[in-house]
Amino acid sequence: MSRYDTNVILYRLKKDAAFRDRFRSDPSTALAGTDLTEEERQAFMRWDVLRLNELGGMLHLLLSIPELGGH
Amino acid sequence: MDRIVYAAAMSHVLYPDYYGENVGPHGRKMVEELIEVVRDMGRTLAAAAPDALVVVADDHLNVFSFDAVPALCVRVGRSVSRMVQDDAIEFDRALDGLPERYPVHEDLANAILEQGLQAGFDFAASWSAPLDHAFLSPVSTLYGNRPVPPLVPFWVNCFVAPQPTAQRCFAAGRHIARVVADGPWKVAVIATGGLSHFPELSLARVAQSDPVFDRRVVTLMEAGDHAALAALTAKELPTPDRTSCSTGWCSWAR
Repeated sequence: MSRYDTNVILYRLKKDAAFRDRFRSDPSTALAGTDLTEEERQAFMRWDVLRLNELGGMLHLLLSIPELGGH
Repeated sequence: MDRIVYAAAMSHVLYPDYYGENVGPHGRKMVEELIEVVRDMGRTLAAAAPDALVVVADDHLNVFSFDAVPALCVRVGRSVSRMVQDDAIEFDRALDGLPERYPVHEDLANAILEQGLQAGFDFAASWSAPLDHAFLSPVSTLYGNRPVPPLVPFWVNCFVAPQPTAQRCFAAGRHIARVVADGPWKVAVIATGGLSHFPELSLARVAQSDPVFDRRVVTLMEAGDHAALAALTAKELPTPDRTSCSTGWCSWAR
């Protein structure tokens, strides 16, 4: 099954430009209060898209988040 | 009683810039040639003058997020909007410049939904879901500057496990065909998706394909072997990219 929390954040990064800006400038603060495992959090902080994908992050979201996505 | 006057299946990333950037000049050339084929299909489709165009496609996590993922969903209501994505990249840019709204064939959509309950289908219904490139890239390529007939968008969940089975998708397609046969409309049906390209939805394996499987599916479709297509199991379809073509195409049943 897909990881709900990881993908909720990925979906929000794609659709919410203000959240995306906050994440790009200060990912730690942007992710405060989210229900992520430490491994997931670190993958977001590093923007390690391969690891996020391995942890269940959906491919199409990872590819298409403006200013962060891509092959 | 009326009928399905046109039916087809096709890819839905008809965007040369995407292939040029990610595959190279030969990829751009292939999709440009494909676009010409689809435009030719569109001339045939337009000549059939359907009252409605059913479009069966998947959601690339653009519409339903993860809060609720319908297995099969009918878009109802009077009109449907194009997905809006700021600073769109990749295939989302294919929506740039397209009309902001399209008419929905409300009566056909409601018939599919309501008669679905009688037929044992608990389809989800959405009044607000917008359309992404899976729907509008083929529709806009088919129709060009010609007016698009009222649409009935129909989503198949292809990416969030557990996905509906090929058999279930085929049955849904047969249901749509029965609704059309019992109704007063001339209806065109297209299903969109791709052959294998995103195995296991793995970012590390993007663009790896399975030509053996692809040739098998295409051969079955050319032979009209619906039973074999509908019998494809989850084990045989372990990669959602296969699902995106097989379930969409299994929905094309008449």
